[in-house]
Amino acid sequence: MYIPKSIDDALEYLDKHAPDALPIAGGTDILIQIREGKIRPKVLVDLSGFRNKLSYVKRVNGKVVIGALASVSGLDETFLVKDKRYLGFADVSAKFASPVLKALATIGGNIGVAVSASDYVTLLHVLEAQVKLVSVKGERIVPLEKLIVEKRTLAKEPNELIYEIIFSESPENSSTAFMKFDRREMIITGYVTCATYLQLENGIIRDVRIAFDRVSGRIPGRAKKTEEFLKGKEFSLDVIRQAYNEVLPTEMKRKSDYRASAEYRLDMSKVMMKRALLKAKSRIEGGV
Amino acid sequence: MASPQAEYVKIVEEMFEKKKEFWLIGQYVQRWDALSKILGKAKFTADYAYLFKNLVYVYSVRAKYAHARIKKIDVSEAEKVPGVLKVVTYKDIPGVNDVGYVLPDQPLLAYEKVRYIGDIVALVIAENPYIAEEAAEKIHVDYEPLPVITNPLDIVSFGGLKEKEHTLIHDERGSDVIARFRILKGDVKKGFEEASVIVEGEYRTQFQEHAYLEPEVALAIPEPDGGVTVITSTQCPHEARRAISRVLGLPYTKVRVVVPPLGGGFGGKEDVANEIGAKAALAALITERPALVVHKREESIIGHSKRHPMIARYKHGAKRDGTLTAVEAEIILDTGAYASLGPFVLWRAIVHSAGPYKIPHVHTEGVAVYTNNVYAGAFRGFGNPQITFAVEQQMDKLAEELGMDPVELRLKNIIRNGDRTVHGQLLDHGVGLEEAIKKAVEAADWFSKRKRYASQTGTLRKGIGIALLWHGNSIGAEGADYSSVTLIINRDGSITFRTGLTDFGQGSTQGLLMIAAEILGVPLSYFRVEQPDTSTTPDAGPTVASRSTAMGGNATLVAAYKLRQRLNQVAADILKCSPDDIEIHAPEVYCRSDPSRKIRWIDLVEECFWRGVPLQEFGYYRAPKAVWEDETGQGEPYFTYTFGAIVAEVTVDMETGKVKVDRVVTAYDIGKVINRVGAELHAEGGTIQGIGYALMEELVHDQNGRVLNPNLYAYYIPTIMDAPGEIIPVWVEAGYRRGPFGAKGLGEPSINGIAPAIANAIANAIGARITSLPITPEKVYLTLKRLGKISL
Amino acid sequence: MVQVEEYPEITITLNVNGKDYTVNVKPYERLIDVLRYKLGFLSIKEGCGRGECGSCAIIMDGKLVPSCLVLAIQARGRKILTLEGIAPPGKLHAIQKALLDTYAMQCGFCFPGVIMASYYLLSKNKNPTEDEIKYALSGNLCRCGSYLRFVKAVKLAAEYIRKGQVYFDLKK
Repeated sequence: MYIPKSIDDALEYLDKHAPDALPIAGGTDILIQIREGKIRPKVLVDLSGFRNKLSYVKRVNGKVVIGALASVSGLDETFLVKDKRYLGFADVSAKFASPVLKALATIGGNIGVAVSASDYVTLLHVLEAQVKLVSVKGERIVPLEKLIVEKRTLAKEPNELIYEIIFSESPENSSTAFMKFDRREMIITGYVTCATYLQLENGIIRDVRIAFDRVSGRIPGRAKKTEEFLKGKEFSLDVIRQAYNEVLPTEMKRKSDYRASAEYRLDMSKVMMKRALLKAKSRIEGGV
Repeated sequence: MASPQAEYVKIVEEMFEKKKEFWLIGQYVQRWDALSKILGKAKFTADYAYLFKNLVYVYSVRAKYAHARIKKIDVSEAEKVPGVLKVVTYKDIPGVNDVGYVLPDQPLLAYEKVRYIGDIVALVIAENPYIAEEAAEKIHVDYEPLPVITNPLDIVSFGGLKEKEHTLIHDERGSDVIARFRILKGDVKKGFEEASVIVEGEYRTQFQEHAYLEPEVALAIPEPDGGVTVITSTQCPHEARRAISRVLGLPYTKVRVVVPPLGGGFGGKEDVANEIGAKAALAALITERPALVVHKREESIIGHSKRHPMIARYKHGAKRDGTLTAVEAEIILDTGAYASLGPFVLWRAIVHSAGPYKIPHVHTEGVAVYTNNVYAGAFRGFGNPQITFAVEQQMDKLAEELGMDPVELRLKNIIRNGDRTVHGQLLDHGVGLEEAIKKAVEAADWFSKRKRYASQTGTLRKGIGIALLWHGNSIGAEGADYSSVTLIINRDGSITFRTGLTDFGQGSTQGLLMIAAEILGVPLSYFRVEQPDTSTTPDAGPTVASRSTAMGGNATLVAAYKLRQRLNQVAADILKCSPDDIEIHAPEVYCRSDPSRKIRWIDLVEECFWRGVPLQEFGYYRAPKAVWEDETGQGEPYFTYTFGAIVAEVTVDMETGKVKVDRVVTAYDIGKVINRVGAELHAEGGTIQGIGYALMEELVHDQNGRVLNPNLYAYYIPTIMDAPGEIIPVWVEAGYRRGPFGAKGLGEPSINGIAPAIANAIANAIGARITSLPITPEKVYLTLKRLGKISL
Repeated sequence: MVQVEEYPEITITLNVNGKDYTVNVKPYERLIDVLRYKLGFLSIKEGCGRGECGSCAIIMDGKLVPSCLVLAIQARGRKILTLEGIAPPGKLHAIQKALLDTYAMQCGFCFPGVIMASYYLLSKNKNPTEDEIKYALSGNLCRCGSYLRFVKAVKLAAEYIRKGQVYFDLKK
């Protein structure tokens, strides 16, 4: 275990020793991977000492900036779960793993794990978030969509750390929602998950973004054709139904596994999309 | 029932007849161990490891394939790893390499074959667990893979349940069918001819994992005389001792099994202690150091027994007025790689296979077969939850066909006092089933809800369903059924209670204390429970089969009764009144007719010592011998039955298929409520475990016999948010005259009826039936979609 | 796993229930193992080793964490609270009393985790609703099924605390 004295120190160490050295924040994924024998890092670089420095959630020049070490329970104490526009964060938190894990798990870690069950990724996709990466060479900002290329695979160097998550503030007449369900209520992967961003103007869908745990690959992604179909149309159940029956199946390819069939997952994607859009709408109109 | 009346039976019957007033029985009392547990001070098995300095750790190296022949095991490289003390294989077993509970079919360490992925090929004994696990990777086993069978229908087929051609899993036995039982009464062909309606169905249930929060653990300490003490989490210390002795080749007197409180059992720790105790003991004797075996959760899931999955085909026939004429069934249980308790599970399933009804013609036939899945054994209910899931849905199907209310149909057919069961057993008293149904129906407001739910629209639909159950108490024809306790009144007036019955949360020992306290007239605070220990606590039989209250309770009652007689005699002599006149309300003892004549409890006890009146008593009770005819299933399989009626209410989300259980009313006839807290907790806990069984739990194997979800993240047991809003227990006390004050068991009945009640409630809500467990949202949704009842 | 002997032990100080303890730990040692087997805080139970059962829950720096997913080294210098430390010696905390009063005890294995999670909830929420209680305990699995009693107990404990009764004498 390497305990860096500062973030720069951590970056230096990673530059020299990655990928034999891996960063650990909350450890809620990496320690399980090690326990199962899936990875065998020689050294872990402990970032947990920097939580104080890197757990902020602030507004800067029309953008929301979140420090990568913000814990899930930490996010619950910020404006993110109160601002009508970003209530999707409250939804993710409510179904995140279990309350016992929320103080350890970090949003940066959720992105770093990069699987379809990384719920923050799904939500951040509909906020068109970007990620700031830092290394000894400096920093760079990359769209989240480009950062995660495949299951557990990020387009970043082993010596880079996820530093911040950034997205533009949404307009007032918009909101977000996230839906997840499974056979039981908590400690679940979710049969499917769906995040939506919706902007309404006089009952017309001004802008909409819809992301799922999986669209056609093994990572969270957006259903862009479905979004296009909905844009500009009047918000109604019929329109939504048309969108998910006629357009969504053209871009979504679900897989069957021992937990659920492709057919069920596709159908539930439709239901979750509808419910998430309805929820976002009701939030825009003043409810919760 | 022709056996001569033993003294202990007479005592139990006398208490049932005579004692009508109770000062403690039926009250709410705190568990004897609640305080130590709430403070976090109670030591569970793994906690004992803290007390030992010189521990060695034992790591079990598991099979690479679910079915393969072993050509060679090479441990030489592993043994050279620094910190490894020894790598043990089958060659190092001093005694018999077998830990099977019923059949001698289960090697501790694999020697010619592995039959499931949890089979152990070697044990690494090392200075620390990390080294042990590392060294395991250096063990090389030459396997010759064999075809893996995960489907029991590859072993037998319906239409006679004959064994099919296949690569035998247990070639040494010559057959992969471990047991066959049946009920054959009357002539079902005739019965179906007399029927106006016939309903058929195929029902499937899944592997269920116990998921007790405390994984298996054993700590073995070598003794100076070459023996061993094993501290382990087991439900059956004397069984574990038998198995460990066998493996080590030692007499029972050199093997001591000590049982701390268990973190849950549910049947899963019935036979696994044979294995882990033997592993730890072997390591301790080889290294002459204390040895610790701790299973990780994943190991626990793939390593220990599960609930038998069932595939059953049922056919019920009834007259127009609802009277049952015939029941026919073929039942297949998958016992996995080893038999474990399989033969007994099958037997209990068959005994209960027609439900608690009067039926003139019955032919139910069942087999239990090996596969290369994880082996199946004891799990709360023991074959009964599977059967009840099938039978109670069949009854509802009949009700639908006949246009009858499901409650009315059942009332028409249930057994009552004076009726005979399908085995021909006369139950002349103690059948509280009708009362249970009536109480449940009333508490649930059945009839008005059925009316209300008959016409619903919208995405959320409510449903209400009922299921009946019966559960034979104790082990029936499985073996000699006895129990024993020791009650010792110490010279300072305190009381030591010793029994080999273990506690894994069910708290039945509390009930035993209450029986003793009730009879002796002494507060519970005077008692101390010694932990089960084969060297000091008597063999009470295994803590299984819902027998602790019925059997252990009787043993306790007998001991307390005899002590009380002696105390009465001495007190009567001192106080100059008759023994029947003595009232004991410790710390006071006095004559009822003249309370001024009194003596203190401690003085009475002291007097007994001086007079040479022994104040310790060994209480023993043996159940009447069960009678069972193999060819016909006729006889008296159990001495009494617990009955129950469960009404469940659900809400179904038609768009997702998700089912929420809103409310469950449980009405159990347990003869007499002894430990009211324990009884209520059983009703609640069994309901929640039953909800898991009904809606979300399923251990899945792939076609190579590997478990796909061996951890608590992928194997879903209910969380607090999945519990129903309300669980309402109501009690019926149709006393059984040979139970302690009439009491019967509840440990297992409390799960049997939950899944079928929920299944029937779901059918009520959505107008379609799902006949396989678990009833997942996907199954509900796709059923609705195929029937056109939902379209997105 | 790499050759475990390569890693030297590191001396760290852990603050547990208000007291400092000095221990030598390997970098890969988990906090749960150090607290249990090196320092004797045996109330902490291991049920799954992956943070998904809640049995090992403790409070670290005021937050609920699963001690099986924290490496001992990561806990240095942090304030750790276990079941042994939620009440002064000879006393029960309101939540312990409430769990006794509601007769919730079965096997007791999940209780330390449940108590810590309840304690954590009550430290942030003086009057939790039934839904809030259920959510707060949703990470604590109880196979014996005492869930409905946990809800009653937390409500009762909140009432006790509001009335000023945070601790109860053991000799009750």
